[in-house]
Amino acid sequence: MAGERRADELVAEGLRIVAGARTLVEDATLRVGAGEIVALVGSSGSGKTVTARALLGMVPFAPGRVAGRVTLTVDGHTSTPETEADFRPLRGRAIGLLWQDARAALDPLRTIGTQVLDAARLAGPVPSRDALLLAPDGPLARAGFADPARVARLHPHELSGGMAQRAAIAVALARNSRFLVADEPTTGLDPSVQRGILAQLSHLAAAGMGLLFITHDLRLLPGFATRVVVMDHGRTVEEAATTAGLAGAGRALVEATRKVAGGVL
Amino acid sequence: MSARTVGLGLVGALILAWVLALVAPYDIVADVNPARASLGPSGAHWLGTDHLGRDVAWRLLLGSRAFVAPGLLTAAIAGLVGGAAGALAGWFGGPVAALVRYTFTVGASVPRFVLVLLAGAIFGADPAVLAVATGLACAPAVGEAVTCRLEELRRAEFVLALRAHGVPEGRILGYHLLWVNARGLVARQVLQAFGFFLVVETTLSYLGGFGVQEPTPSWGNMLAFEFGIPDGNLLAWMAPAAAIWAGILGTALLGQDLGLREGARHGR
Repeated sequence: MAGERRADELVAEGLRIVAGARTLVEDATLRVGAGEIVALVGSSGSGKTVTARALLGMVPFAPGRVAGRVTLTVDGHTSTPETEADFRPLRGRAIGLLWQDARAALDPLRTIGTQVLDAARLAGPVPSRDALLLAPDGPLARAGFADPARVARLHPHELSGGMAQRAAIAVALARNSRFLVADEPTTGLDPSVQRGILAQLSHLAAAGMGLLFITHDLRLLPGFATRVVVMDHGRTVEEAATTAGLAGAGRALVEATRKVAGGVL
Repeated sequence: MSARTVGLGLVGALILAWVLALVAPYDIVADVNPARASLGPSGAHWLGTDHLGRDVAWRLLLGSRAFVAPGLLTAAIAGLVGGAAGALAGWFGGPVAALVRYTFTVGASVPRFVLVLLAGAIFGADPAVLAVATGLACAPAVGEAVTCRLEELRRAEFVLALRAHGVPEGRILGYHLLWVNARGLVARQVLQAFGFFLVVETTLSYLGGFGVQEPTPSWGNMLAFEFGIPDGNLLAWMAPAAAIWAGILGTALLGQDLGLREGARHGR
């Protein structure tokens, strides 16, 4: 299993996304391996979010056209989805999404426990609600909740921003997604909560999940992201490793920042 | 007492009366007895007797048969027809929604009572005909409500999130949107349709003609039959009037409560 896992990867090559007369993404290429955290950075409007959506085949514009290729390898099985029907079986199972506003991404009328349970049932048979939700290695515990029993009974409106993001992570874990596209998942959270979420995502990557982390906040990246891909005006313009220690990462980021028009720091 | 408690109590009493009436041994026709006409309440006749000497309490129970079963049919038709059409319109939008909304608007532009009378005149005043007609007349209200709720929710972030988790479209619509997020709304509208059939039936029976005919009791014809009888038993017409009022109040309160509960969790 471990050998196969290492081969898991999510690749996008030459993505070009057109909505009506506007070209939103000109040429985006990126690769996320299992266990990697790849940061996709760029200023607002540079095409990060729409690139992320394209990885799931969910470009949110009705006349949007997508060219280029997405390749997903999971458990040694490679697919290159193009149509909605190709993407559908991959969503959730192979690749999931975390949203900036996690509370809005949860069903307002149901408890966190029920939503985690529903996601787990989509992934496979579940012995019982309690066995899933209260287990020390269950999705709620792995998402960093110290008291899963209490959280399972809460509705989304009863959660803080950080808790809501953890709940969204728990749903993705229950769904057993191999890759997660996280679209600014810590924006709007206070710094200590941000650090907690990032630490949790690092744990997941260490356990073999591949993560594409979209952000405009470069300060988050040193010590967190494996690689940084910079996007500008719909193109991926720069890729830098951040593993060469903080100093190396810092230099790469400063260079990357300079390339992004206007800078984001 | 909360609106919910009162609503549940009144609707529960209504259902209980109906069940009792279904198993009741009481024979209305054979019970006429001028010797005990217009008696006040007593141990033998809890609500007294009417001017033909028939037991008012028993007739009140039996009167529920005139509208409960047909009313349930009305509610089912309003819920199924309105719910299905509203779900299609709200989910697909575009030309489907335009067609459904147009049909609803045309249907809703004729007063519901007039539609029901028209159906009764054309197809006969059978309770089943009236129930189906009332159900169809109430369907646009159910449909509009469901359409609005779905139009609001189908682009909601949590629906996109469900799609991103690979939840099949049919399950998103049927379970996550209709069942989880719109059933209170549908329940409220369907209860209103039931309450409206109660109004239709008792009104028609009060007026005679299309309604339930003597000696078969309806709260409407009991009221008409006993109101204004000189030296009559007041309870013989006040009890059915109160029962009509309580039945409508109960369905309205319970429906409002169900709708509000769901709305509150949506943050409205």
